[in-house]
Amino acid sequence: MKRRTPLAWSNLTYERRKLVTAIAGVAFAVLLMFMFRGFENALYDSQIQLLTRLNGDIVMVNRIKYTMFVPEQFARRRLYQAQAFDGVDAAYALYIRDGAAWKNPQTKKVRALRVLAFNPSEPVLPLPGILANREKLTMPWTALMDEKARTEVGQVAAGTVSELGERQIEIVGTFSLGTDFASINGNLVMSDQNFIRYFGQVGPDEQSRSLGTVDIGLLKLAPGANAEELVQVLSDRLPKDVSVYTKEDFVKKELDYWRNNTSIGFVFSLLTTMSFIVGIILVYQILYTDVSDHWAEYATLKAIGYNNVYLLTIVLQQALILAVLGFIPGYLIALVLYDLTTNATGLLMQMTLWRGVNLLIATFMMCLISGLIAVRKVQATDPAEVFS
Amino acid sequence: MIHHSTAPSFEFNDIGLADDQYAVRIRNLSHHFGTGDLKTQVLYDINLDLKRGQIVILTGPSGSGKTTLISLIGALRSAQSGSLKVLGKELVGLNKAQLVEVRRNIGFIFQAHNLFDSLTASQNVEMAVELLEDWGEKRAKAAEILAKVGLASRVHYKPKALSGGQKQRVAIARALVNEPALILADEPTAALDKKSGREVVTLMQKLAKEQGRTILIVTHDNSILDVADRIINLVDGRLESDQSLETFVNTHDPKSLDRRMFIM
Repeated sequence: MKRRTPLAWSNLTYERRKLVTAIAGVAFAVLLMFMFRGFENALYDSQIQLLTRLNGDIVMVNRIKYTMFVPEQFARRRLYQAQAFDGVDAAYALYIRDGAAWKNPQTKKVRALRVLAFNPSEPVLPLPGILANREKLTMPWTALMDEKARTEVGQVAAGTVSELGERQIEIVGTFSLGTDFASINGNLVMSDQNFIRYFGQVGPDEQSRSLGTVDIGLLKLAPGANAEELVQVLSDRLPKDVSVYTKEDFVKKELDYWRNNTSIGFVFSLLTTMSFIVGIILVYQILYTDVSDHWAEYATLKAIGYNNVYLLTIVLQQALILAVLGFIPGYLIALVLYDLTTNATGLLMQMTLWRGVNLLIATFMMCLISGLIAVRKVQATDPAEVFS
Repeated sequence: MIHHSTAPSFEFNDIGLADDQYAVRIRNLSHHFGTGDLKTQVLYDINLDLKRGQIVILTGPSGSGKTTLISLIGALRSAQSGSLKVLGKELVGLNKAQLVEVRRNIGFIFQAHNLFDSLTASQNVEMAVELLEDWGEKRAKAAEILAKVGLASRVHYKPKALSGGQKQRVAIARALVNEPALILADEPTAALDKKSGREVVTLMQKLAKEQGRTILIVTHDNSILDVADRIINLVDGRLESDQSLETFVNTHDPKSLDRRMFIM
């Protein structure tokens, strides 16, 4: 049985206090990376969570609506025109009003909400809370409230009566979606009929809405139809005042906008890189100290016939052990903090397997780089110097 | 004493002995440190043979080149000129990887025990056995040699739980476990009290005699000179004398002995 003396493990674990400090250091670096990556992903994920839940294979928007933030509509007749094409099964209209004035029923303070409106008989946004309350939505002056709205919106449940745009509104139920940059404090879902009740006639400073213009059009494909081909056909044949995308492309376009046209990506990449480098320095310190403390012993190993490759594997083993031991607590604490952050901000802090694996690899890289720097000290050790 | 203008050579009478009867054969070995203007010569034209089974003590004042000589014999430095044969292998001209191979056949004992605190006595010794890729018997071998150095009951102790003498005995066990034909010891008693030092040297002598090992000990400690078959004195990089114990003691009156040997 080939069992080497576990020198790397023994040296690392011999002094418990040192070990705990070392693990805490690595765990902290891991945690920092998880948090920064988490915030970055949360911002992206939040931006697309409404889009991904919309029920449609193809999305139609105004040509100049390059992100959800742009409040431009297109004529509803384009939807009807699209519906006439072969392969299109159904066309749904989604009406959006950003910054609708909602009065907090408890504090009476006015906060901005995003209103999503559609025909309740159509499965535009098939979330459980919405499907269950479709009948109630047909009543005038009613709406559904997002459970994940920020706390500034107030305590809201079915039966709550408050004001929207200085008109009375009754909340007849709740659903679960979450906030993003555009929705600011939360989302309100209502029927298209109620939408024009609230926004059909507004003051001169605001745009009055009708059902003639649509914010997002959704097309359902007939069985067997190819989305990409259909997008091509619709783009060619429809007037150029609308853009047509597959849903995947539309989501990707939205993500690209946030990645490339805002500083979010850069800021968080920088922060993640910085925590990565802090991790390298921390681990390097730990490994270097171990090598320095055991200088004479390592030199003796070289003297009795161990080569540099063996010493390299010892230091790299220590680096990998630290990576694993530090990653586990870092990961677990990150899970807890993700949960806390989600509850506190409504931002979507998601830990997926891929993201976990990604940072595990980053942690290995971090420790390996430190190990490779630290090992130069061992390799420079001259065995002749052990002789006094 | 006047330095010899030509270096003395010793035991050249044994011409009839074949190469393999010597653990070490040195001819015209010189060694320099540094380059250019800073180049200084530390060893001058050394000629020396160590027969197998001998215990040889190398003495000399500080800076005499003892450490350089022992590190050259131990293949810890590259030999530069002349000829240096260790266990039948010429070391002059070998590269680093080849020197590492040579070192695996030599037992090293240092002034400090240099044991890993995190490993048990047995594991520290096993580290040496693993160099031979001898996985199956490493534990048994370590236990056996530790028993020989009188540590049968301390096999699984970590160095912190051992006394200074015991630690040095573990280091000796580590040096001996692979049964090297040549053992190099650098001030093995310096870190020990007189009694432990004596025990350690006697132990080395006993194991060497039993197993026919060649031992070269560098030391300042004149209380252990009696274990030696030969005493070689190195001064300013030249072999000054090479004598049996009796002649060494007779020709060095205690005062000059002290003066020459205890300048640190």
